[in-house]
Amino acid sequence: MALKKVGVIATAQTELRPAWSDAQHIDLISSVVTSVFKGSGLTIDDVDFVIDSGSDVLDGRSISNCGFLGALGAHHKEEARVEEDGIWAAHYGVNKIASGAASVGLIVAYSKPSESQVANYWSSQVEPFYQRPVGFSQRAAGGIQAQRYLAANDVSMEDLANLVAARWAAAQENGGVQIDKLPSASDVLSAAEGAAPLTDLMFSRPMDGAVAVLLADEATARRAGADPVLITGMGSSADAHAFADRDNSRLNSLSLAAERAAASAGWSAAEADIVEVSASTAVAELMALEALGLAKPGQGKAAAQGGKVAVNNSGGALPADPLMVTGLARLVEAVRQLRQPKRYGLSSASRAVVHGANGIGMQSNCVFNLEV
Amino acid sequence: MYSAPETMPIELPTFHADISLPYTLTPGRAAGTFLAEVKNKRIIGSRFASGMVVAPAEDFSSVDGEEPESFVEAPQTGVLTAFTRVDGEVIGFIKLDGCDNEFPHKILADLSDLAVGQRVEAEWQDGVEESITAIKGFRLAPDAPEGAVKPAGETEEPLGSIKYALSLPYEHAYGPYYGRMFDEIRENGRVMGVRCTNADVALLPPREIDDISHKKTGTWKTCADTGTIRGCSIINMEFVGQTREPPYVYAEIVLDGASTRLIHMIEIDDVEDAKKRIKPGTRVRAIWTEGERKGSMSDIERFEVIDE
Repeated sequence: MALKKVGVIATAQTELRPAWSDAQHIDLISSVVTSVFKGSGLTIDDVDFVIDSGSDVLDGRSISNCGFLGALGAHHKEEARVEEDGIWAAHYGVNKIASGAASVGLIVAYSKPSESQVANYWSSQVEPFYQRPVGFSQRAAGGIQAQRYLAANDVSMEDLANLVAARWAAAQENGGVQIDKLPSASDVLSAAEGAAPLTDLMFSRPMDGAVAVLLADEATARRAGADPVLITGMGSSADAHAFADRDNSRLNSLSLAAERAAASAGWSAAEADIVEVSASTAVAELMALEALGLAKPGQGKAAAQGGKVAVNNSGGALPADPLMVTGLARLVEAVRQLRQPKRYGLSSASRAVVHGANGIGMQSNCVFNLEV
Repeated sequence: MYSAPETMPIELPTFHADISLPYTLTPGRAAGTFLAEVKNKRIIGSRFASGMVVAPAEDFSSVDGEEPESFVEAPQTGVLTAFTRVDGEVIGFIKLDGCDNEFPHKILADLSDLAVGQRVEAEWQDGVEESITAIKGFRLAPDAPEGAVKPAGETEEPLGSIKYALSLPYEHAYGPYYGRMFDEIRENGRVMGVRCTNADVALLPPREIDDISHKKTGTWKTCADTGTIRGCSIINMEFVGQTREPPYVYAEIVLDGASTRLIHMIEIDDVEDAKKRIKPGTRVRAIWTEGERKGSMSDIERFEVIDE
């Protein structure tokens, strides 16, 4: 039996803010879940299943999706929680529809890191006997990765600062991200130390927000609203848990995820019009582009500036990293750009590759190939 | 283009919550042995059939999942393979002499003095047992001779478990609906909900979207502070998280004017008497606390049975 093609019917997103202090999780969630149906011709009654992504540690309650079920529109529906970036929730949902088990799925991801201490969220993911007690952390992983990358390649701190400043400017231009003051490259360089050699602004900025994505089989998607964006490739891969056990010169699990997605789509990121990557640091963003095959190892700097393939037109994760939402937000951004390429300065666009990551130092990676 | 929840100014700041989670972690044989041996100032590693040596010891190879053949004693010298500084602490990767892996630990030197490939040696911290922090860190040791991996010989019994605790503080946003509900409790001593989609009864706690119909909820409505028990249990034992001493009754109460159950407590003196008097259908009224209200469900001290 052939697998069904699966399309994105519609997306909805809250503004990403450092703190949504006047709304709680259910307020953000119900806002995107009600919005996502607008113009689709579908309602919550048409949804066969809901898959949501969030973190109990960030949310401050166990099995937090239980408390959010009503806002998620999941009352008496088939519902499942994925405690990984929302792009894995979409991966799960696409597979359910592709197999023929369901027609319409609602994918929701949410995070409010402003309510907790993000360092605790990361620390809880670090091995507790050997690594956590000596202070190894998400920040340390980013610093070590950067120290090695800068030592091995022709990339300067100024290059990283320019990249960060450009991403923040793109985020401001394209909207959806609260930016009170746009940092210049010199602001990035002179920011407090994040993890040597990186400054604080060279790390992705944790943000609050929620997104919802409505998926359906191709026939249902074509009857609904706008032309669907078809998901023609997906791949994921996980590297060793211990950061020190990985080859830190490259993101191997991202390369493998991208190869798997490209194998089913029949084309790779280098043949895409749009690429949206998630990265926890400026160096990791260059490495992500290399892993996707947009540049040779160590040479991601030029690819980051765009050219044939537009990279992170949305600004990517550096100015706005809503943790559990980040990868799914890349998909939402790519869908927007595929539907309105001119608004993003593209003459036309028919293919996009989007990426989400999980874990310390981007241990696990997931890639989608999208087509219109 | 972007969705936004309905918001409105509320009086209350954020709701502070602390989650403290006690654990007993099970380190397993390898980490358990390593942690038991630090009091002898030995670094225990694992040797695999392939010849690979990993330190600190692991029960499984991270490369192929194979189990080790034996424990070894790793040397206390090695090289620095990477480094960074976070919050003023220098952290590096160490590759001990004769070992194949790297691992993170504190580096007891200034960042500006460090270079990849420098020789380092372990510095122990007296008085610390059962933790990798018994090794205070690694200091630069340019002249340290190359160490060798040795058979571990007799090893201490592995630790069965170690105590651990996670402490997680939160500042939860109330949002416009919970915010107004608690503001009303504090300012006016009344419990307000919002009407559900198709009836003149209030949802408590209030919310923008009805959980069941997923339609927008209606206008605000004040509920009475009297109601009917719809579910209850006489609590006669102690457990973690209790806010009062047993015995008492845990009750799910539908306030007059509401459609949802509110969880609260009924104080009792006598369990046998409570069994007779308190059951689903029993009418109750709220007893508010004396003095200034805080804007919390605990502003209702308890419920009591209305004698009819």
